[in-house]
Amino acid sequence: MRASVDSAALLELVWAAPLAAITVVTAWGLVVYGTSRAGEARRNGQTGVAALHVMVAAVGGTLFVAAIVLGLIVTAAKG
Amino acid sequence: MDSDIILVIVVATALAFDFTNGFHDTANAVATSISTRALAPKTAVTLSAILNFVGAFISIKVAATVAGGIVDSELITTTVIFAGLIGAITWNLVTWFFGLPSSSSHALIGGVVGAAFAASGPAAILGGGLLEKVIVPALVAPIVAFLTAGICILITYRMVGRLRPGSVNRGYRLGQIVSASLLSLSHGTNDAQKTMGIITLALIAHGTLDGPSPDPPFWVIVSAATAIALGTYSGGWRIIRTMGSKIYKMDPAQGFAAQGGGAAVLLTASHLGFPLSTTHSITGAVLGAGAAKSLSAVRWGLAGNIAVAWVLTLPAAAAVGAVTWGVSRIFGTGALGPLLISVSLLALITALFGKRMRHGPPIPMPPPVPADS
Repeated sequence: MRASVDSAALLELVWAAPLAAITVVTAWGLVVYGTSRAGEARRNGQTGVAALHVMVAAVGGTLFVAAIVLGLIVTAAKG
Repeated sequence: MDSDIILVIVVATALAFDFTNGFHDTANAVATSISTRALAPKTAVTLSAILNFVGAFISIKVAATVAGGIVDSELITTTVIFAGLIGAITWNLVTWFFGLPSSSSHALIGGVVGAAFAASGPAAILGGGLLEKVIVPALVAPIVAFLTAGICILITYRMVGRLRPGSVNRGYRLGQIVSASLLSLSHGTNDAQKTMGIITLALIAHGTLDGPSPDPPFWVIVSAATAIALGTYSGGWRIIRTMGSKIYKMDPAQGFAAQGGGAAVLLTASHLGFPLSTTHSITGAVLGAGAAKSLSAVRWGLAGNIAVAWVLTLPAAAAVGAVTWGVSRIFGTGALGPLLISVSLLALITALFGKRMRHGPPIPMPPPVPADS
């Protein structure tokens, strides 16, 4: 039996897959964190703080959308 | 005449496999969403079915046909494909009956390996391909996904642990809808192609299609997409219950970490040309997201049963594939063997599973997530 495992791809997978997952989860975490904190700040009348947290949510949302688009591209390209 | 009948039988069996693939793998995309109430059960399977259907049209590359690089392609005949499909369908039904998630792709590979082994002996099996495409990914997928989802849920709790649970749970439920949709689309693209590949291979062997790697005809794409979508819509509720609520009671953040983390692992692996099993990755991620929060909350006995099913997938499907090929040969090389086996299997499935498939055990909605999660 001739072993033909692509060890370079395997090694890359071990660090790249968790990195991608952490990026996705952190991005959505920023959305949840930002919207939740912004809501609290608005209720307390702190409009400046609310705006800051909306920006945090927007950054997270942009990252998340980028990750989804990348996922769609990978899905379309594989086969 | 005989070859026409065999072709029809292989096409019908391939579509039957596609259907079982759909209902067997529904859980990968929707189980955590249903469990955390991100989606109602019927909405979840409907959304997943539609996206599986759409996904089947995204890519029609049939370069990697059935068990490519694992079995000597010169030795694959329509009867071997038929026997392999029977092996895969049988294993999918057995694991569904016990509510155990297992890889449909590995079952198909196992079935074809067993049938090819019975037909042509050990020379038909390419050991290096088996190691590269089945054994190593089967070991890597659950471990990487387990660790990844574990890290993801710890980061998530760190980020949102002190926020109001109501808005946090709403946020993660919304995120789960997106990740479930992406997984469903990816599943349709990836798995419907296998059926397209099988049917295309059968059409080449029959002489209907010419060329080394022709594109599948449109009717093949539509029928494969329809079969996997119908299978997904019918919902493998037993496996959905296992993955969604039997392993442990998950909260929306855990559901998102498992699903989002698992999807990221799958797509990264696919991008690197190291495709992993969706079932192995998502199950590993579900376990990882649970274990990172509380080791004792996870039902490890059930996880052990799932692992045993994974280990048995290849040999069990191979054994059924080999026996099917052997029984088929008793009736000669014509269509009689496959025809008798198909009718017998259909009668057996109708008798054993028909009622359960039609109704399916009701999926209880989980209780509301505790406020402190």
